[in-house]
Amino acid sequence: MALLELKNIYKTYKQGEFDVHALQNISLSLDTGEFAALVGPSGSGKTTLLNIIGCLDSASSGSFHLNGNDLTQAKESDLSNYRLFQIGFVFQAYNLVPVLSALENVELIMVLQGRHHKERRERAEHYLKLVGLQDMMHRRPKALSGGQQQRVAVARALATNPRIVLADEPTANLDSENATALLDVMHELSHEEKTTFLFSTHDLRVMQRAERIITLSDGQIQKDETNPAAVA
Amino acid sequence: MNRQRLGLRTLTMLAWRNLWRHRRRTIITLTSISLGFGLSVFSISLGDGGHNNMIKNAIDFGEGHIAIQTTDYLQAPANYKFIADQNPIIERLQQLNLQGKIAPRIALQVLVSSANNSIGAALQSIDMEKDPRVEKLKTQLVDGRWLTNNEQRGVLIGEGMARKLKVKLGSKIVLLVGKKGGDSEAQLARVRGIFKTAMVELDSFLILSNLQFGQRYLSSEDQANPNAVTRLAIFLDEHDSLPYWHQEIKTALKNFNVAVLSWEEMMPELVQYILVDDIGNYIMLILILAVIVFGIINTVLMSVLERTREFGLLRAIGINRGHLLLLVFFESIWLSLFSVAGGWIIGGGIYWYFSTVGLDITGMIPEGTSFGGTFMDPIMYAELSMQRVTQITVIVFFTTLASGIYPAIKAARITPVQALRT
Repeated sequence: MALLELKNIYKTYKQGEFDVHALQNISLSLDTGEFAALVGPSGSGKTTLLNIIGCLDSASSGSFHLNGNDLTQAKESDLSNYRLFQIGFVFQAYNLVPVLSALENVELIMVLQGRHHKERRERAEHYLKLVGLQDMMHRRPKALSGGQQQRVAVARALATNPRIVLADEPTANLDSENATALLDVMHELSHEEKTTFLFSTHDLRVMQRAERIITLSDGQIQKDETNPAAVA
Repeated sequence: MNRQRLGLRTLTMLAWRNLWRHRRRTIITLTSISLGFGLSVFSISLGDGGHNNMIKNAIDFGEGHIAIQTTDYLQAPANYKFIADQNPIIERLQQLNLQGKIAPRIALQVLVSSANNSIGAALQSIDMEKDPRVEKLKTQLVDGRWLTNNEQRGVLIGEGMARKLKVKLGSKIVLLVGKKGGDSEAQLARVRGIFKTAMVELDSFLILSNLQFGQRYLSSEDQANPNAVTRLAIFLDEHDSLPYWHQEIKTALKNFNVAVLSWEEMMPELVQYILVDDIGNYIMLILILAVIVFGIINTVLMSVLERTREFGLLRAIGINRGHLLLLVFFESIWLSLFSVAGGWIIGGGIYWYFSTVGLDITGMIPEGTSFGGTFMDPIMYAELSMQRVTQITVIVFFTTLASGIYPAIKAARITPVQALRT
């Protein structure tokens, strides 16, 4: 069974008097451990689709299953819990809580999950080491570079043991070196932890590393193909 | 699926750090709240001090905490309404083991005449050695000597009355008392002393004599009983025991056909004055609280609005609305605690100064501070009861806390998708 399954998803917004069809008839499934990218021009519906998959938004019609659970009609409080226990997020910017250190940022979600102090401290330290920030755990975000902050976000997303990590333009604000390092880390962890990664991106560097590329245009899937270069 | 948890410790820590994110803004807000708090402590404590001083003077210079007199005297005072025999009442009061002093008094409305003038006055005949009024008025004597209980016709008058009657020490005056049925009785008296107090009512209208002199007027009404008095004034050792003793005495004397009145019942105009003045103080407190409320709403709301994206992030990673509401509310709790603490540091300092040094109000009220049968000492001292301290603290704390509700609701309503777009 697929980890994630979307069937005939439509999303329509009201913009003034007009209806905007952000997504039309989207059907998609993702399996455990996939490293995939949603690509397409601005306004093609990437972020909207990512928001629906991330339980941040709901579809106007269609069905959505995550890990076997039908979330099509789920209440906000339930969606909030799915986000907490099953989904990890990495956003383009402003990923971290500024008043918390890197370690505390990673721990925060595990606090919400109700994990024991010792366990969450060990996991937070483990994942921060994996992303190469063992010496910067106690720094607050403003004392970290953009690339380091994104690595903390990746550690935070993975430390909760999610089924899927959604990353919206995670490399958009990073230089080449930092972007490559971040993608290396995510790719490695995806394979080690068997965690599904889904990116929304314009970034060629991400597309080159994604093993599956889903191309959106005008709210519809134009192409859904494996990336032989990345798979190899 | 598991439910999410956010412990008190995490909430408190997050709120604490968020509070100091904009240190300068928080300090300015706290300072303004604390100053407002200090101002209200100043206003309330000085008001309370003034009121308590007026009450104390009303009791000390007036008819004590409790007055026992004939049932219809308060409604229609008349010289012929008096207690024919004080002894059974005093015996009954002594059985109660009363914690205070009993002062027998005679109060009569008189027309006092000198060779030069005639004016209306109040004759008060008291025990010249034991009455609590003695220690208050003896120090106010500016000329002559204090009276003894044995002298026949000596009286003390105020400086104002001496001026009006154009009399001095040793002068003769005649005191004419109206009696039942339209008759009158005159007694000759001699001025043995002149006093000067802060109360116009006392200085211009009070004539003091010993009980023996006053009883001349009552004795002719009731020849059989020279122990007649118009009133028994009771001065309690503990002011706060008034409600208890008022009730006890009322019960004990229910068969004596007398009225047992507290000072509040004796001086309703003073009670009303204090009430009106308190309302003024409360209006000021409300205005100060309004400033505090808007200060906090401004700070917390600004802090919420500029963190919209951050709240969006928190909602996205799974924190629910309730926890976000609690987080912002905890920031208000910190702000409230600091406001109250800062307020008490400033307000406490102000209170300490004015309760120790006092505030000289003579320059502010040149026409005098007497009112409704009492007066305020020229130096006002701030006073705060434990009840007031609790009241101010609770009001400011909860007002401050309530101010955080709207911003907290606003934060909880943030939707992650919209917030992350900002």
